[in-house]
Amino acid sequence: MNIFTLASRNVYRNRHRSMVTTLAMAFACTMMIVFSALMDGFAIGSERNVVSMNTGDIQIHLPGYRDDPDIYSLIDNADSLVAQFRADAFYATERLFAFGLMASDQSSSGVQLRGVDLDYEPTVTDIDQHIMTGEWLSADDQHGVVIGKKLSKLLDVGLGDELIFVGQTADGYMANDSFQIKGILKSVSATIDNAGVFMSNGMLRELITLPTGAHELVLMRTDRTGDLTLRTEQLKTALGDDLDVMNWQQLMPVINRFLETAHIQTLIMMIFTYIAVASVVLNAMLMSVFERIHEFGIMKAIGVKPKQLIILIYAEMFIQTLLAVLIALLAGSGLSWYLQENGLDMSSMADEISFAGLAFDPVWHAALTPNALLMPTLFLFVIAAIAVIYPAIKVAVIQPVDAIHHQ
Amino acid sequence: MFKHLLFCFSLLSLFIVPSVQAESDSERVKMLLNEVDDLWRGQSSYAVTSMHVKTAHYERTMKMEGWSKGKEKTLFRIMQPLREKGTATLKSDNHIYTYLPKTDRTIKLTSGMMMGSWMGSHLTNDDLVKEARLEEDYTAEISFEGERDGQNIIEFSLIPRLDAAVVWGKLVLIILEDSHIPVIEYYYDEDMVLARTIEFSDIQLLGGRERPAVLTVVPADKPDEYTRFVYEELSLNVALKDSLFSLSSLKKR
Amino acid sequence: MKLNTLAWRNLWRHKRRTLITASSIAFGVLLAVTFTGAGDYFYTRMIDAGANMGMGHITIAAPDYNRAPSSQKRIQDADKLQAMMTDLPEVKSVVGRLQGQAMFASARKSIGGTFIAIDPAQEDANNNLFIQALSEGEMLTSTAGKGIVMGVDLARKLQLTLGKKVVYTTTDVNGDIVSAIARVSGLFRTGVSEVDGGMALLPMQSVQKVLGYKADEVSFIAVSLRDQRASHAVRDSLQSQPEFQHVDVLNWQQTQPDLAGMIAVDKGANRISQLLIALLIAAGILNTMLMSVLERMREFGVMMALGMSPRHLFSLVMLESFWLAVIGLIIGVIITIPWYLYMAETGLDLTSAYGDDFSFGGVLLDTVFKIRLFKESIIGILVGLFSLALLSGAYPAWRAGRIPPVESLKAL
Repeated sequence: MNIFTLASRNVYRNRHRSMVTTLAMAFACTMMIVFSALMDGFAIGSERNVVSMNTGDIQIHLPGYRDDPDIYSLIDNADSLVAQFRADAFYATERLFAFGLMASDQSSSGVQLRGVDLDYEPTVTDIDQHIMTGEWLSADDQHGVVIGKKLSKLLDVGLGDELIFVGQTADGYMANDSFQIKGILKSVSATIDNAGVFMSNGMLRELITLPTGAHELVLMRTDRTGDLTLRTEQLKTALGDDLDVMNWQQLMPVINRFLETAHIQTLIMMIFTYIAVASVVLNAMLMSVFERIHEFGIMKAIGVKPKQLIILIYAEMFIQTLLAVLIALLAGSGLSWYLQENGLDMSSMADEISFAGLAFDPVWHAALTPNALLMPTLFLFVIAAIAVIYPAIKVAVIQPVDAIHHQ
Repeated sequence: MFKHLLFCFSLLSLFIVPSVQAESDSERVKMLLNEVDDLWRGQSSYAVTSMHVKTAHYERTMKMEGWSKGKEKTLFRIMQPLREKGTATLKSDNHIYTYLPKTDRTIKLTSGMMMGSWMGSHLTNDDLVKEARLEEDYTAEISFEGERDGQNIIEFSLIPRLDAAVVWGKLVLIILEDSHIPVIEYYYDEDMVLARTIEFSDIQLLGGRERPAVLTVVPADKPDEYTRFVYEELSLNVALKDSLFSLSSLKKR
Repeated sequence: MKLNTLAWRNLWRHKRRTLITASSIAFGVLLAVTFTGAGDYFYTRMIDAGANMGMGHITIAAPDYNRAPSSQKRIQDADKLQAMMTDLPEVKSVVGRLQGQAMFASARKSIGGTFIAIDPAQEDANNNLFIQALSEGEMLTSTAGKGIVMGVDLARKLQLTLGKKVVYTTTDVNGDIVSAIARVSGLFRTGVSEVDGGMALLPMQSVQKVLGYKADEVSFIAVSLRDQRASHAVRDSLQSQPEFQHVDVLNWQQTQPDLAGMIAVDKGANRISQLLIALLIAAGILNTMLMSVLERMREFGVMMALGMSPRHLFSLVMLESFWLAVIGLIIGVIITIPWYLYMAETGLDLTSAYGDDFSFGGVLLDTVFKIRLFKESIIGILVGLFSLALLSGAYPAWRAGRIPPVESLKAL
């Protein structure tokens, strides 16, 4: 008789016990899948927060610009560089900055004007999705600006209010114009929250009389799975010393450390979860074998060889685990998918979340990565296989008489 | 960072009437510096000045007119170029306001803008505002007197007082011995490295006496750049009403 | 009584199974202690660091100062209020601080930033993060002096070194622009670019003079607590006192909502992880108990036939769960104590994982993974796991009580 047929009959015959074992394993596996998805989501989400709101993977400036944001520190060939990056598996955009004073009816505050490319900025960052009230910039509005959250409080202004900017143009004249608030951003970073005023590249160019060039190029890899350090180095070599190439880890070392710490914590949590799962599976498998030693004894007595018994036990284990995995994949991916789409909204606990000057999204989304499905599944098989080694050997070596009398 | 307007049109702020130091010298030092100071200062004044700025990135010229009364009240208004015409700045006691014709708004200057370049020039707003306080900030002495480069000159060294809110380490002012007309002024930082120079030239009859009509500010680290002021008109001790120095007169053309 | 002995014996009929299940409970103890302890430790550190960056755990400020700070808004009876709080048992230190925006200028450059004026005699590394983060030179020594301690990046941008002078321009008590001079006496490095590039400490009395503040006038009083968890209680009790009616009494959650949010969310995430693991442990216990009930159906049938009521059977299985939980918790406590002691004292040094370029150590982020448990957390963990074990035993127990005697006799 085929060993698998026998095994499945056994599993079916002990369906009560099999079900409990299988469900326990399925539950454990589901938990692992959901947990992995949540953890991957946390890692991806926090990096996304860091990178995709503003910083991007890689930024390029003229050397010294970051220390001293001089309006004349322009990358002259910005357009051609950006086009070149786009052809080289990057999303790329250029930005312009200017500093000055923004005044409302009530008060005034120093601001950083941020000129963004309305067509390409959304390909690199998600800042356009990060609006708290109002809406993002549009090309046909020549006076609309989007401002940082705390700046709106400092100036005591809301949607539709008028702001007056005073600064200096690149050719030495006074830059002065009025703008209308179209949107207010959610928390992004300390600088943007406190002083950021977004407008279209074109508006800023006109305001400060700077027809060409850009202060900052921002790149995002189209495939974000590769080695960022390596790509940064490649770009550095390709662009030479005339340009300062830095990735987000170099731009924000403290945040990077913080995320690394979070990764280690995630890893520790993951290990703990796996150990908890292992104990459940181990117990379930042990029981399902040991409780049937009596039965195995009888099989031995009627001449079944130890090797065949081991194979039988493993086949039963395999069937149960397979069932458990199928259930877990279904339940786990469903649950994770739900958490990926809807996220766990933590904003009820807190409306502002930031660390070291960087704001985080209060909605925790899971990420249903292939890893989140594969690793728990593999782990379950391995653990189950390990769990039955001991009982299987015991069954293989036990004397039939002892087995039959085994309680 | 913040480009803001304030122009004590008389540029008196560049001069200092220092307090006395040594007993013997003190009266003479005080007298001489007062005389230099008085070149542009009166009870009240009216002036038309043009400014030429040259930097690595741009060159520009503008023309403005201004009124002053005492040390505390100053109003000036830009006449040219057209794109800035009507922009006006009022300093009244410790408050500074700017009127912006393009957006028809008046903005009060805050401390954050004081160190910004003034109208794209090589002077900061602070340079132009400090005048009323500067005499308390330095001690002066004559550090050289006699012939140098074919001219008889007097050289003053002005050292900021220990607690004076002055970024400089030392100021050196050179005047002609006979006419007491200023020639040049050097600004040194704390390590006694030259930070900027102001040259006085084109001596002509202005407002009833001989004085330099052109002042050129040259930053030491960018010797190719400069800001040059040219007095086109100056009348001292004119009758001015207090109401001229009010927010409402800022907007008037 | 007899039921109890029976339950205990039943457990030991399957030593292996009991021990595995008990150890999963024990493991739960270890786990909960590690996670909760890491949270308790990490949050306390972050909260303390945040408090020591200026506002304290409790902040006494002029009305509306927190929403829209300005140099006009100030506390005018700081000395009296400070004296009232110094001797409270929860309070570690009480310091008045004067904070504002300023333009810092050297002969070369000028940069806008924030200053905090402090009385050096009252401040030390325990209530002032910048003293802890001092990287060059020395702290302010005199409250009436001309010293300034600034972030390393701010000094670098202004092209200043130790001993050089800097002019700060700010707004005084009347809204007028004022400037004064200071000399760089020290530099600090926190690793946060906004702070290192835009913060400076100034001596209190000198700044009060410049701004036109009287000797007992400050922007706010920062109160450091021995234990940050007392912030709500201390705030509420201060708020109710008549002397504090004219000021805002705020806790760190109000002055640093972003940090509070960060911690709340991290706590939430931590809770979710712990919940998942708790569910796993519960599944383990449920599995064990259900198995043992299923395999003893015949036995239970016999017992019922002999006159044992379903309620008795339910109690029996519940008692088994109870003792299982007790054994698990005891093992848990035994294995957790050395682990906890080690982690609380020494911790896991993650420095090697970060590489050698970790220059921010000790101020904002820890390179050593440590745990520290609050008393109430210990109780929470034990009670939580115990109820978890009992809850997971409830269904199998209910199954046991529900078995009709005849069917169970037929079952095997």
